[in-house]
Amino acid sequence: MTELRVEPKHMTTDGGAWLLVLSSVFLCNLLKILLPSCSSIISRFLQKDAEQESEMRSEIQNMKQELSTISMMDEFARYARLERKINKMTDKLKTHVKTRTAQLAKIKWVINIVFYILQAALMISLIWKYYSEPVTVLPSKWLAPLERLVAFPTGVAGGVGITCWLVVCNKVVAILLHPFS
Amino acid sequence: MEPDPVEGEGCGISRHEGVGGVAGSSPPLTGLPASQRRAEIRRRKLLMNSEERINRIMGFHRPKADDDSHSETKLQLEQDKPICLPAPVSKRVVLGDTVCSLSGTADHTSSLADHKGEKIDLFSKTHEVGSDGSSELRQRNRGELFDVPQRPPRHGLDQYLSRFDEAMKLRNQLMNEKPSQENGNAVEEFDSFHIFRLVGCALLAIGVRVFVCKYLSIFAPFLTLQLAYMGLSKYFPKNEKKTKTTVLTAALLLSGIPAEVISRSMDTYSKMGDVFTDLCVYFFTFIFCHELLVFFGSEVP
Repeated sequence: MTELRVEPKHMTTDGGAWLLVLSSVFLCNLLKILLPSCSSIISRFLQKDAEQESEMRSEIQNMKQELSTISMMDEFARYARLERKINKMTDKLKTHVKTRTAQLAKIKWVINIVFYILQAALMISLIWKYYSEPVTVLPSKWLAPLERLVAFPTGVAGGVGITCWLVVCNKVVAILLHPFS
Repeated sequence: MEPDPVEGEGCGISRHEGVGGVAGSSPPLTGLPASQRRAEIRRRKLLMNSEERINRIMGFHRPKADDDSHSETKLQLEQDKPICLPAPVSKRVVLGDTVCSLSGTADHTSSLADHKGEKIDLFSKTHEVGSDGSSELRQRNRGELFDVPQRPPRHGLDQYLSRFDEAMKLRNQLMNEKPSQENGNAVEEFDSFHIFRLVGCALLAIGVRVFVCKYLSIFAPFLTLQLAYMGLSKYFPKNEKKTKTTVLTAALLLSGIPAEVISRSMDTYSKMGDVFTDLCVYFFTFIFCHELLVFFGSEVP
């Protein structure tokens, strides 16, 4: 009875393994394509100073317009004061932008690193899981004379090993997603 | 050549530097004031340095038969020694030492140290040759050292210049390609023949799974298809496939491997890549079809 109960379960995992690997690879590749936009969205959420920056920009613009209306000869003191103010504001904006850019780069870097770590972890766990178990099994004569290569590292005759399937999936998914990348 | 009076004063020009061809052709500096003499000395030194550098780049040592007795004896030794020198020992041979064996002894090191001034050219040259790993260049160097009196160094210069031209062309090509690759990568990779191949492989996989594969290996029809593609490739318009110029190709070119050989090997490499892509698509489609058939077959009573 126990054998009868175990067998169908084993069959279902075997049946889904190829799809699981394929979907993992697909998701990883898709995320890799979407990573730049994802990181920019995340950084936008994390950085709330962008509004302040735009306010500063508009303020500088206004002051510059005002400066253009003032005659330097007639109202030198006012002109100089305003110019100093513009310079001060510009410097502040520059520092702000510099800080924000550095922060943005850092966020993007962290997101990339996290993504690659997660991807590596996923791949390693898949390889770990299907190290001795083929993702799918075919009649061994179909894969002759490459059955050993295809079955690596499982050693099951006619089985498709995780390494071979990962390579194939990566290649096919890369071809499929190439127009979108 | 008469020794220059200024050089004799020891104004910072080493003996080694003084053997350059530039110094030999310039007039003596006795009648000039001190500042002009100094400027002239500096100019000569700079010119000699550049000549030395050129020699080092070209990979040969220009012998100064007139006044450099050290280099003369060294060349003499090299001409006398070639019989006792084993072929694969390139570094020691080119160093021009009296030692033939590879084993570095203390005497050998000291002799090297004694003649360090004279051998700096050769040493740097051998280092360069050793690092780039080109046997042809190594042979050329050795040959040039042995044949210095017979063969003019002009040959080496011409060869170097031609290679340099090729490298520059390659570089320009690379510079021109970079923006176009960014824009037209999709066009380059998915030309009509490529798409045809991929679609053909997928269709064949479906056909093989449905009809053929019960008695055959699935790779046999794939190989047949690849043979067919080889024949069919003639009938497809060949869009100008730009050779991908990489650092590797540039290095191979500079190390003396003919451009034709490199382009052929690159072509073969790209063809292998295409076949591998086809195989992946074929295998994937086959497995996908198989799993679908198994799934629906199991569902249907």
